Amino acid sequence: MHTLKIEHLTVEVENKIILKDFNLEIKSGEIHAIMGPNGTGKSTLSKVIMGYPGYHILEGTITYDDTIMNDLSVDKRAKLGLFLGMQMPLEIEGVTNADFLRSALNEKEKENFHLMKFIKKLDATVESLDMEKEMIHRGVNVGFSGGERKKNEILQMYMLEPTCVLLDEIDSGLDVDSLRIVGNHVMKYFKKEEPAVLLITHYQRLLEYIKPTHIHVMVDGSIVKSGDYDLVKEIETFGYDKFKKNGTHIIEEMKTHE
Amino acid sequence: MNKIKIENDIIVESNLNQKVRLSFLEKSQDFMVNKIVIDLLEDTNLEIEYNNENALKLDILIRVAEGVTAKVQEFRNGNLMKIQYRYELDNHSFLNIQKFHHMNGMKELDTIYLNGHNSKIDYTLKTISKVREKYDITVYHEGKNTESMIRTNGVNLLDGSLDFHITGIVPNGKTGAKLDQKNRIINLNNQKCSIHPNLFIDEYDVVANHSAWIGKFREDELFYLESRGLSETLAMNLLVKGFLLSNLELSNKRKEELVSIINQYWR
Repeated sequence: MHTLKIEHLTVEVENKIILKDFNLEIKSGEIHAIMGPNGTGKSTLSKVIMGYPGYHILEGTITYDDTIMNDLSVDKRAKLGLFLGMQMPLEIEGVTNADFLRSALNEKEKENFHLMKFIKKLDATVESLDMEKEMIHRGVNVGFSGGERKKNEILQMYMLEPTCVLLDEIDSGLDVDSLRIVGNHVMKYFKKEEPAVLLITHYQRLLEYIKPTHIHVMVDGSIVKSGDYDLVKEIETFGYDKFKKNGTHIIEEMKTHE
Repeated sequence: MNKIKIENDIIVESNLNQKVRLSFLEKSQDFMVNKIVIDLLEDTNLEIEYNNENALKLDILIRVAEGVTAKVQEFRNGNLMKIQYRYELDNHSFLNIQKFHHMNGMKELDTIYLNGHNSKIDYTLKTISKVREKYDITVYHEGKNTESMIRTNGVNLLDGSLDFHITGIVPNGKTGAKLDQKNRIINLNNQKCSIHPNLFIDEYDVVANHSAWIGKFREDELFYLESRGLSETLAMNLLVKGFLLSNLELSNKRKEELVSIINQYWR
């Protein structure tokens, strides 16, 4: 059993406070979906958990199991079992997907790394994700469409077998078929490995495939409401405006209380 | 594959078939440097390997005959080198140049003459600069419908400083020319580096592009790789390999050699 715990987290990016007294706990076998309007700090949250440079934690802690990660390097967070599927995965010219994944797995598994096992698993996952085989020998995400990039993130997740998965708008840029494939693969991985999952999305459509156990609405850097799947219906009906007002109200109340 | 191996200023090995002709000219009285002429007479590949313990000066002319498609790969490892190249391409010829340098100082002057109509050059230079290196590459589009792609990539480290001067020239009347320059320096020691991309074009019917970039690897690139569990050193190693080995068509043996050079610095 693994637990990702965020307590009283306040984060500053370029002299602007993006996350304010943010709290969240995710255990293995749970999927927490965070929904909210643009510019509310959702992507910042996923990046700060992963240790993105330039994001300063002013207060609070991010803990994974017994390790406080605030000052941990990015690679050490990944070695603890964290994985961030990015909203806009980068193109890295010259570094092939195969080399990249082999190096990452080699680093993780050290003497237990077996090349043949790696190749077999890679081939099977590429086929299952309906990706072109030759993509694996191309530069990381070079010339990939939006959908192919997202599939590539899921491929990496399968290969690296993380225990905590952060998915930042994994549905953006996906057509209907790719959304189904990506969504189903995330669920398949969840059922098999039971990781702790943080899912960031704007839209309900992804949740047709990935079934969250908890839903949170985030506004202005904080969670303003949590609930079960019924909360999604509320968002679909009323939009985020309702929560924005409430959120502002809650934050104002919080400030007054301080 | 045709191969020429040069140690210091002596050709120690030349394994060439009838597609390549090698000739020597007397040392230039002005500069006292060895002059070599290489004629590429039929479609072929040629590898030139330089290993020099002492400072070396060379003057080389490479001529590509009409209709010939050729690839010339160069691998340089050693001490200070001053080298001057002149490339001359005839009608409908294509020359693919791929260079990898790991030197203690380099000064190179390359002049490329696309003399023939429809002649085309694809030029790639990769270098690890650890002392002072300066490259001056000029392409003259003397024929019609000529094409040049000049790709210069360098990683600057230790006591290195690196300068690329890349110039494309199209005279009036030489229609249909295409010029492309992609110049990039990864500067890891903060010493002065420069790129001078010049395009001198006196003709309307031309397509020309150039890019120049000096800096470190992007923070986002390192973050992406590190977020998959690679340490900063390993992530740098992968990025440098990608940067320096892309666009080079390497045999497994040669690739291993170049990887072991890169691993000296990032492991």
